[in-house]
Amino acid sequence: MKAAMKNNLTVLTTVATMSALLAGCSNNPTHATACSLPDGPNLERAISAARFDLETGCEHEFDGYFQRLLTIAEGDPKKENKASFSDFLLWANDAGLLSKAQARQTYNRYFGIKYVSLVSDYSVCAQTCPHQSDVMRDMNRELADKEQGLLKISADRLNYTRASNLYQETELVLEATCEACGPIE
Amino acid sequence: MKTARFCERKAARRFIKQLLSGCLLLPVAAYAGSSAPTIKLFPTTVLEEIKHTGNVAAEMESGLQSVISQLDEQQKLYIDSKCEGNEGDPGCERIARQLGKSYLEMLNVMADKLPEMETAVNATSSSLEKRIRKELGQKKTSWTLQELLLGTEAGKSAAASQPSLRGRSGMRLSDRFSQYYRLVARSGGKTNSSLAVIASDIYLDMQETSSLIARTREEISRATLMEQLNQSFGTITPEMQEVVAGVKAILFGEELDVIPMAIQPVAPADHGFESALQM
Repeated sequence: MKAAMKNNLTVLTTVATMSALLAGCSNNPTHATACSLPDGPNLERAISAARFDLETGCEHEFDGYFQRLLTIAEGDPKKENKASFSDFLLWANDAGLLSKAQARQTYNRYFGIKYVSLVSDYSVCAQTCPHQSDVMRDMNRELADKEQGLLKISADRLNYTRASNLYQETELVLEATCEACGPIE
Repeated sequence: MKTARFCERKAARRFIKQLLSGCLLLPVAAYAGSSAPTIKLFPTTVLEEIKHTGNVAAEMESGLQSVISQLDEQQKLYIDSKCEGNEGDPGCERIARQLGKSYLEMLNVMADKLPEMETAVNATSSSLEKRIRKELGQKKTSWTLQELLLGTEAGKSAAASQPSLRGRSGMRLSDRFSQYYRLVARSGGKTNSSLAVIASDIYLDMQETSSLIARTREEISRATLMEQLNQSFGTITPEMQEVVAGVKAILFGEELDVIPMAIQPVAPADHGFESALQM
């Protein structure tokens, strides 16, 4: 009697394990398909697809999706693209994928004139000058992102030129200011 | 030996280039004095020092101008007399000696005026340094500094009044300072962004000029000695011709190493899309 009961328990355990495994297997293919980056030339469609995927388990791939959307948008540069990316980032914030600060920094890195690389809390002498070359290198990278966002995606030559001029002016003024601040103590 | 002499004359030429444009600081100073910038980069003391530097530079320029004209005439005479290749000719030797004498005179004018010039430049540089350190280095973060540079209307309208230059190299100083004048005159004292850029540019130029003066002063005595030796031999060297040609080019405004500037596009204010994420 005891042996029969033990056998039944073993069978039940095996069945339960198999069911769990099968259920897991049936979920996996869906997960893999959902995380394939959007394709095609239509930005709005790509954004919809990205939003769906990011809501259904692919949030860890956010950066990859965002970069793909940027690439797709380059195929059809227009001013309206800015609004599309703004909406997408606001949605990402609402969906809990990005903090407000991250959304703001990402948007401005690509579509703003000001440099998020220059965000700081302390004086130029105290905080920026000790890392002047790093700051300029970061700004230079950001300028490349602005070229993509403003020029190649939004066809906004005017604001890209302003961002580019701001880079040159900042470089000059920082050089003079850091020289005036004196050696780092 | 020839390389050394070439270098020292090159340094002298570079200095003269900067010097002759220095007098153009005057109108900048005069105008900026009448405006009232809200960031105090150009208080009266700094303006006075800039003005004084401009005066010293102007004095040196006028001293050099006459001797350079003399050099020009003598060089013309030397060429017209077909002296090149006829160095042994007594007439040519005489012209060459006169030319060398004028060259020495030029070096003497520079030697005479350089100490005063050096003091003036260093004083201006030091005052500007203090203002920049205080107003831009200590009162601003890098974020507020870029806001200043972008102008208070940043992101809302294109600031058509912003300066159109910038960068310290690739442009003759005289052109740059006359551009400063136009920029300051146009800003009417309202564009702090322009003033920050102008102050930075002048300060860095002053730093460069200061080190150039120091090097030139070191070289002048050596150059003088070399020319005195040349006087005994009565020769005119290619390097000397080059210096004279260079100085002429500066005085008569021939273009040197002009690189196109980044020009701020003048366009209507952009009232396009503004994101809620805009910083």
